Amino acid sequence: MRSTTFRALGMVAAASAVALTLAACGSGTPGQPADTGGGGEDVPEGATTVEFWQLSFQEVENDWYTAVVDAFNSSQEEVHVNLTQVPGDAWEQRMTAAQAAGNAPDMYTIAYNGVISAASTGQILSLSEHIGDDVWTDVQPEVLGSVSMGEDHYAFPMLVEPSAVLWYRTDLFEAAGIDAPPATWDELVEHAATLTSGDVFGFGGPQSAGDAGWSTWGLQWNVAGHLPISDDWSEAQCTDEYAPFLQAWQDMYAAGSLPQQALSGVADGNPLGQGQLAMNMGGSWFASVLLNDFPEMVENIAAAPMPSFHGDPTAPTATLGGWTWVVDAKSEVPAEAASFIEHALGGGDDEQLLEYFAATQYSKYSPRTTVNENLIEAASSSENPWAATIAEQIVPNSKPEASYPWDISLAFGTALEQAMQGTDVSAALADCNAEINRLIEANQLAGTAPQ
Amino acid sequence: MTQTVQAPPGAATVPPRVRRGRVKQPRVRTGVNARSNVMAYAMLAPIVLLLTIFVVWPVIYAIYLSFYNWSFYTPPIPVGWRNYVNVLGDRTFIQSVGRGLLFAVIVVPVQLIIGFLFASLVKSVSGKLATVLKVSIYIPTIISGVIASIVFVLIYNYQGGILNAFVGLFGIEKQAWLGNAETALGALTVPAIWLGLGIGTLIMLAGMVDIPPSYYEAADLDGATWFQKTFYITIPLMRNIFLYLLIAGFTAAVQQFELPLVMTDGGPLERTLLPNLYIFQHFRNDTYVGYSIAAAILLMIVLGSISAGIFRVLNSEKAVDG
Repeated sequence: MRSTTFRALGMVAAASAVALTLAACGSGTPGQPADTGGGGEDVPEGATTVEFWQLSFQEVENDWYTAVVDAFNSSQEEVHVNLTQVPGDAWEQRMTAAQAAGNAPDMYTIAYNGVISAASTGQILSLSEHIGDDVWTDVQPEVLGSVSMGEDHYAFPMLVEPSAVLWYRTDLFEAAGIDAPPATWDELVEHAATLTSGDVFGFGGPQSAGDAGWSTWGLQWNVAGHLPISDDWSEAQCTDEYAPFLQAWQDMYAAGSLPQQALSGVADGNPLGQGQLAMNMGGSWFASVLLNDFPEMVENIAAAPMPSFHGDPTAPTATLGGWTWVVDAKSEVPAEAASFIEHALGGGDDEQLLEYFAATQYSKYSPRTTVNENLIEAASSSENPWAATIAEQIVPNSKPEASYPWDISLAFGTALEQAMQGTDVSAALADCNAEINRLIEANQLAGTAPQ
Repeated sequence: MTQTVQAPPGAATVPPRVRRGRVKQPRVRTGVNARSNVMAYAMLAPIVLLLTIFVVWPVIYAIYLSFYNWSFYTPPIPVGWRNYVNVLGDRTFIQSVGRGLLFAVIVVPVQLIIGFLFASLVKSVSGKLATVLKVSIYIPTIISGVIASIVFVLIYNYQGGILNAFVGLFGIEKQAWLGNAETALGALTVPAIWLGLGIGTLIMLAGMVDIPPSYYEAADLDGATWFQKTFYITIPLMRNIFLYLLIAGFTAAVQQFELPLVMTDGGPLERTLLPNLYIFQHFRNDTYVGYSIAAAILLMIVLGSISAGIFRVLNSEKAVDG
């Protein structure tokens, strides 16, 4: 008890220091409120309160979360969900400070690649005992596998979105006499050089280690047939098989086809919408950005799978990123939290769930088979002209996100950035291999991969 | 500046003993002194208590935690020195400390030189103009580091940045000031110098004003030039000021956090990853916090050693009387 108190005091002091450092940021995003949310009023007497933190992205998503929470609260009086919407750039420090103080929310949103790590270190609870098998059977097996350890499912998948789609400007292609998107990487490098002109760059993609770490998992699969660590996490596999990938980045950067300084983060579709890029590697969520913020550009933009290094059009080029809902390991109301998850995502109200995908203009896809079928049908008649291409040509070939610790992904991202900035490709890969082996040793990762 | 040591009331008229150049006062026990001591301890108690709670105890507890693998969800697992071995085996940490020292070596001397010149200018001009200059130089100090970072990102922007527009007037190609591994750290030093200039300049000005004018009058009578007065009077008599600014500036520069966080997030190729940002990134991303704490303690040792080294080289006592 005493050590717990001391520990809490120490960590509260540390977390407070971090929080104070960042306090001047407010929400962390100019013009955006620090916290908003629904469900905070009119708590029925005797109802169990479930605190729910949602990572805030677009306004339409926030509206959907608020509506689903309000609908759930109105539908019964036993459980009251209190929603807090936290801006993306404040999430890590807010959550860390809350965990340190023992005030973590009962449930929250988490990306796929964080689920296994959180589960294996005891941060989140298994949902299997609270949500019935009949609900889980509707989740696509490969997606379910990415949130499961053994027989236990630790997160309920809400959506999937391919991390890498080739968005390209049809008007610029036509002007340059190019009649189709690149099918090989040689073509991509060549087209990028041709399309670079004035303030328009031929290609935009991840240019920092952090961005490359997560957005290139699909391309890592594509070029090497594996990720840069063995399946049991016992040894590095950052081999010369990745050389064509790094070489392509180095060539495009040297030729000026890639901007000398990234125009924005890889998750940001604005540079494409603003007309600064002729081709852009970006997630399926770009569709929503383009439709909402750059409607005048929609007719000139098309989507295609990223090219394959070895010419196989069915080889993966993207991973299925996205968001899941989890229950915190210290929650005192896990059953109530799980009941809300099941209601919102597991089939309690699929019409409302479909509204989420409609609100985001079908730029995301459902991990549940029945919902996805309805979604694709609805998308075909929607204003999103790229939904069918992404759903039919990219999603089926995509891989789940990597579940190993982030530092491993960062090591590969660093190698890509090194090569881009001019380091010899083999030397960059050798550095990557040595760093991953060091991380395996330092973190005692060997044999800890979830089966 | 000369100190006069007076015997306390009631003390015997014994000449003070001189040992190693220090004047040692005779020990006198009286009721008045005892009461004074009690009062002194009582006055000191709150700050000692606060220091113990908010400085001493967290440091001791952090040292304790650094020997554990510890998360917010699992019981701590003792790991001995492994966190320290891992941190010292991580070349990114070693490089970040070296980079922090390089950053400080660039930033602090430039701040001191510009601050000194500006303080000299302020001292030499008339009252109203001096006030305007003081306000001007102090403005960066009250600007949030985050805001300054965003402003400088806009200045350095590759596409549409003011700096590239400016160099373009001379026919120079656009530069990726923050995107190029060769220029990114240098680009960060400019806002760091700008932000820290105001307070240093005002402290130097206070030190200059404190120097008796008679020294300069005597030097004028001897026909000394501005340079001679500066190097033989001003700088020697401001030794303690420089010592303070050097140590405070050095530790602040090595621990610079906001600028690399907002402007580059440590990139490109970790060339702007300063030690505090490295620790923060691990604290934010790692499941176990022992590693981050071990890194923070190692950084504390580095900074403490450097501060002690500066104290040793620039012994402040020598400057008391000029």
